[in-house]
Amino acid sequence: MTMNQSPRLPGSDRHLPVPMHGGGTEDFEVSLVSLNQWQIAWRRFRRHKLAVFGSILFLTICAIAVVGPFIVPFNFYELPAPIAHCPGDPKSLGSNGCPPSLEHPFGTTGGLGRDVLTVVVNGARLSLVIGVGASVFAAIIGAIVGGLAGYFGGWLDNLLMRVVDVLLSLPILFVILVVSKFLGGGSWISIVFVFAALGWPSLARLVRSLFLTLRSEVFVEAARAVGVGNRRIIFRHILPNAVSPLIVATTLSIAGVIVTEAFVSFLGFGVDATQPTWGNALSGAVAFIPNGNWWWPAFPGLAIVLTVLGINFMGDGLRDALDPRSKF
Amino acid sequence: MAKYIVRRLLQAIPVLLGISFVIYFILLIAPGGPLGRFTQNPKITAEQIQAFKHRWGLDDPIPVQYCKWLGVCGDKPFLVNALPGGTISVAGLTVELPGGDNGVLHGDLGYSIIDGRLVTDVITSRFLPTFILATTAYVIWITVAFVAGVYAAVKRYSLFDSALTIVNYVGYSLPTFWLGIMLISLFAAPPLRWFPVGGMWTTRTVPTFGTDAYWKFFGSQPISALYDLGTHLVLPVFTLVLVNIAFDSRFIRASMLDSLNQDFVKTARAKGVPERTVIFKHALRNALLPVVTNIGIEIPFLFTGAIVTETIFSWPGMGRQFILATESFDYPVLMGILLIASMTVVLANLAADIAYALVDPRVHYD
Repeated sequence: MTMNQSPRLPGSDRHLPVPMHGGGTEDFEVSLVSLNQWQIAWRRFRRHKLAVFGSILFLTICAIAVVGPFIVPFNFYELPAPIAHCPGDPKSLGSNGCPPSLEHPFGTTGGLGRDVLTVVVNGARLSLVIGVGASVFAAIIGAIVGGLAGYFGGWLDNLLMRVVDVLLSLPILFVILVVSKFLGGGSWISIVFVFAALGWPSLARLVRSLFLTLRSEVFVEAARAVGVGNRRIIFRHILPNAVSPLIVATTLSIAGVIVTEAFVSFLGFGVDATQPTWGNALSGAVAFIPNGNWWWPAFPGLAIVLTVLGINFMGDGLRDALDPRSKF
Repeated sequence: MAKYIVRRLLQAIPVLLGISFVIYFILLIAPGGPLGRFTQNPKITAEQIQAFKHRWGLDDPIPVQYCKWLGVCGDKPFLVNALPGGTISVAGLTVELPGGDNGVLHGDLGYSIIDGRLVTDVITSRFLPTFILATTAYVIWITVAFVAGVYAAVKRYSLFDSALTIVNYVGYSLPTFWLGIMLISLFAAPPLRWFPVGGMWTTRTVPTFGTDAYWKFFGSQPISALYDLGTHLVLPVFTLVLVNIAFDSRFIRASMLDSLNQDFVKTARAKGVPERTVIFKHALRNALLPVVTNIGIEIPFLFTGAIVTETIFSWPGMGRQFILATESFDYPVLMGILLIASMTVVLANLAADIAYALVDPRVHYD
């Protein structure tokens, strides 16, 4: 954990290569431009091959989620006519779904005979929106609670951290399942709230530890000595230094939310079964596995794996890029 | 040390109370509830529903229900109710404590709303299957992760090390439940059909697990009983092992690398100690410290993993029971399982801290 981060000042990175620009050949010492912390991080991130690969993977999946449903040849909400046998195989049962073919590259589902590619592409939207939405929402709650506890300390810190202790001792998957089933009501918005409401405590603990360390840094004391108010100290001096570990933790938590949400929906406790999500796609597939239908469960799951892999690579890259102690 | 343990145990009490309070409220403010299954039945009258509610105490206000569940409010006076039930023996004298069978503080978890069985019976009948599955998987994954992690650290940057890194990245990204589904699809479904699709015993040839008939069968034909259990164990155990090896082997590798870079290892090498001794006696013993803690903290994950694998493989354990109870709004069973799971989390954290102090002389608690 990056708890003892030293604060960064713009351009103070000694390992910074001297940027060549403007075509000037002489006076290169004078042309030393200071880069801000985000520019430095971006430089480091670009050099992290796996991270770049992961980001491209994740962004591609996001792009597919946005435009994919308009491109795929079938409409998710229009049911195909039932068929007795798969084309070219008179012995097969059409109700078991048909294996991948040119017309249906991922095969078709058992029962309703939907195109699996269409199901996967349509499922991306809700799965990603829930993953990103719940993580960002949890990060906001975590930042507020952790910031208040870490900055002000005292009884407020004690109270908030006891709440965090209780929530962190919950057997989290059990509680997510129960709450989604009992309070979710099948709507994806309430699932976002459930995951955010149960996901913020670890982020709050992270932010609190950062605020605790930063609060006693010399530059904060200096700011306080010249009469800067609490609000400005928090937002101008502490928060910018605490934000990068929070970004990394939030990014990585998206992957966790996507997997857990898929499991919750798979059990029928999450998003309503008529809505396309990856979890719902897998939920329907289970009944047809003993009949030899492997393609229906395989492709929605692969979509989850690729998304999670992309996010994990991206998160690792961000961690290295945003950590001021890592050298490049 | 003893003082520290007592203090931590005392601190765990408010945490557990808080947890049970939070969960109880979540359960009972939910719409629907156990009465939902009656709404579709035209034969059930409003009086019958009212009687059902009264019978289960569902018409009390939520705080009163919680208080009764806890065993503080009840038919007896407050202080008597707050005492733990059962008997104690002091110097040969057996004393009957007041309290008895009304509430968690008296060791009573209530009755299942769905089938009226004692919750403690429901849970104990589900405990052994979960225990068998979880411990088998746990022992295998810790052993494999340990050997692989240490070997990868000793042979750093070797082919094995890189292969392990890739396996870890993939294993880390694999959703447990999907892995289980795909294993069934590959090895239990046609054309291979090597293993059963799910369950814990072959229903046609073996009696129901846990019954007297089963143990009789187990006694008369231990080999075929174990073989039958084994074939049902392979896929769920493999699922748990593959997913959990990823994190653990990485952790053990990092711990071992850290230990190999310590000064005392360099000193040992400089003295001419054989490499084998350096690795196993000097480095490994120190690398074990964080690993021991981690193993303790992971015990609650066994429960979490149990929900997923037991659901996918219809394994008749506590995780499966939990899902069934959630589907039927069976509050007492849910509260019982959640309470046990929360206690496991709290106690495992405590056990990890104590183990850390026991194995690392540098750690002092007071």
